[in-house]
Amino acid sequence: MGTTASQLGKDLLSEYQELTFLTKQEILLAHKRFSECLSKEDKNLPTPRVPMEKVLSLPELKSNPFRKRICHVFSTSDMKDGSLTFEDFLDLLSAFSDSATLEIKSHYAFRIFDFDDDGTLDSGDLEKLVNCLTGETDDTRLTPEEMRQLISNILEESDIDKDGTVNLSEFQHVISRSPDFVSSFKIVL
Amino acid sequence: MSYIALWRKALHKIGGHFGGGVQSYFMFLRFLVVLNFLSFLLIAGFIFIPSIVFRSTSNSNMTVDSTGPEACRVYDPNLQGLVVFYQYFLDLLSGTGFMEYSYMFYGYYNNTVAESSGFHYNLPLAYLLTSVFYFAFCLICIIARMGSALRIAVATGSGAAGSYSKMVFTGWDYGCQGYRATKLKQKSIHYQLQVDLEEERLQKKALSLTLGQTVGLCSLRIFLMLVSLALIGGAFFGIFQATVFSQAKVGAEGILGLFWVYLPSIVITNRNFVVPFMCDQIALFERYSPSTTIIMALFRSVFLRMISLGVLLFTLWSQITCFKESKDCQLCQYNNKEYPLGETRVGQEMYKLALFDFLITIAMLILVEFPRRLFVDHCSCALTRWVGRQEFLVPPNVLGLVYGQTVVWTGALFCPLLPLINTLKFFILFYCKKVTLFSNCRPAVKTFRSTTSTIFFLVVLLFGWGLALVAMIYSLAQIHPSMSCGPFRSLTMMWSIVPKTFYTLSLTTQDFIFYMGSQAFSIPLFIFSCVVLCYVAALAAVYGKSVDLLKAQLKLVSDGWGEKSYMT
Repeated sequence: MGTTASQLGKDLLSEYQELTFLTKQEILLAHKRFSECLSKEDKNLPTPRVPMEKVLSLPELKSNPFRKRICHVFSTSDMKDGSLTFEDFLDLLSAFSDSATLEIKSHYAFRIFDFDDDGTLDSGDLEKLVNCLTGETDDTRLTPEEMRQLISNILEESDIDKDGTVNLSEFQHVISRSPDFVSSFKIVL
Repeated sequence: MSYIALWRKALHKIGGHFGGGVQSYFMFLRFLVVLNFLSFLLIAGFIFIPSIVFRSTSNSNMTVDSTGPEACRVYDPNLQGLVVFYQYFLDLLSGTGFMEYSYMFYGYYNNTVAESSGFHYNLPLAYLLTSVFYFAFCLICIIARMGSALRIAVATGSGAAGSYSKMVFTGWDYGCQGYRATKLKQKSIHYQLQVDLEEERLQKKALSLTLGQTVGLCSLRIFLMLVSLALIGGAFFGIFQATVFSQAKVGAEGILGLFWVYLPSIVITNRNFVVPFMCDQIALFERYSPSTTIIMALFRSVFLRMISLGVLLFTLWSQITCFKESKDCQLCQYNNKEYPLGETRVGQEMYKLALFDFLITIAMLILVEFPRRLFVDHCSCALTRWVGRQEFLVPPNVLGLVYGQTVVWTGALFCPLLPLINTLKFFILFYCKKVTLFSNCRPAVKTFRSTTSTIFFLVVLLFGWGLALVAMIYSLAQIHPSMSCGPFRSLTMMWSIVPKTFYTLSLTTQDFIFYMGSQAFSIPLFIFSCVVLCYVAALAAVYGKSVDLLKAQLKLVSDGWGEKSYMT
């Protein structure tokens, strides 16, 4: 980060602007919001980390059913605890920004949906995905019958090489046929 | 158009909580409110406001002529000086007394032809042409809306390739903020998935039936169809009898008189509750898919409602113009003793139907739905658990709307303010139904697809329009207008104002219009419109073929591409 915790240096700002899809104003706003999440002691560290709970308390992420997965995907922490540095935070906002390309968004969407981080979407991942979409409580879940039917339909439609899982290329193939994915995969501060 | 903004948030909330099916009912209601309001503006602009202006100015430029025997022109609408206080209330409910001779009904309008310098306004002609144009305007609105709904239905398709994976992978909106919005979105995704899965399951089951089972199912369905037709036939007979009885008892005093006067409306509304309920029970045995069940229920109930209304109209007209050749009609060609102003009587009947329908809906809300919810929530016996909270059933509610709108269309010629009353009625109904939906109803366990159901609601509305059109054409062309008052008092037939005015136009205009009607013009026009129709049909076929080609190509690409990636 910059020399002081409350200000971002000019050349650092332009460097960030080149590396991400964000504009200068968006980076400054992100910096402001990130600093608000830091506790007093952390502010003086060279690369402060915001714990996952603080990130999840942001209003843009608070009710998102995929918030935990988003934190895990963008976190570069060795302890895999979902904490984010400022650069992780910028990566997150960049992937969810207006100007990010379809390939970037679909790449990150795939990683978010891959609950067990094995590089493919198998039935377990799909089941967890559908539960996130419909709600986690018992009365909002699909019945086991319906879930089975739905997962077999999804695999029939998108699993082209018939290996029982959806890999990144197959996922991107489905995404490319949906015109409003780019506008719905968006988080703006 | 401005109506897109009306109630948008409320509709979004309803769709999120109760699914697309219930939301489509409320969108249909909103469409009817706007349609009625625009119709009222049309009628106000051409009939109502000129009438007020002419009445208030009433200078010698206006001609009010009336012909016919003296006895036929007598009309005393009973404007008494001092009346009992509740008489006003009874008059408000039945459209008699102080309401009868007012702007509400046909009888108050004069056949004035105003002519001042350069300004010529023929009120009877305006009355007639506005009524005709009102029907055409409603038809255009309905067809336009059906067209846009069809376009959406064709575009989204019923189970297009890849729809499940698309819905699951791209269905979430990450900009959704707030607990409530998230819950709404999750609920609507849940409903959508459930609907599609249910339809697919039923389709698979239908395909997997053996021949014997299919035959059995078909014969069961035919039998149940005959049963429902018999029910409907019985209902007609009851309504016919009730109307004849009620007309015979006209003139009775007080509350009992009000009861006799309202008897046809009461019988019709009873039938409208009982028979659809029984049809629903029948539909449970037929085992169609949810969407088809809704559509069948709609069509069955619509025949009942529309034709019961038609029977009421028929009996009314037969009494007014005495088909049975009694001597009451010899003098003025209509029954002037009992019906000095028959058109107003018909207008009053339609007004009573509309009002009674509204009062019954409100009464059901207050007396049935709220107590049911209180009962279910506060008592925990086995009975309440079995009865459960109400479910918001869309087909009966849609039928109610279509019925109300048909009554308005039928009565608009005789009661020009009826569209305004209907606008207010539907406006209040929206809020009442919304309140009962959120307070008393539980979300449906099963729901149905909203795009196709919207189209069917509009088709059913067109049935009602067709009935009202038949009634209007008959009134215009066959019935002898009353000679005592009303805009057509000097004519033998309402339509004859048009030829009469036509011959006052300049000679070149007459020649031009004759030419447009002659064969030399109409046959080339007909051929030209056939050519345009063929062109549009060919274009549609080509588009359909190219869509199929593209779908096949997509499949080929994904198969071939899959092979390529497999080999690498």
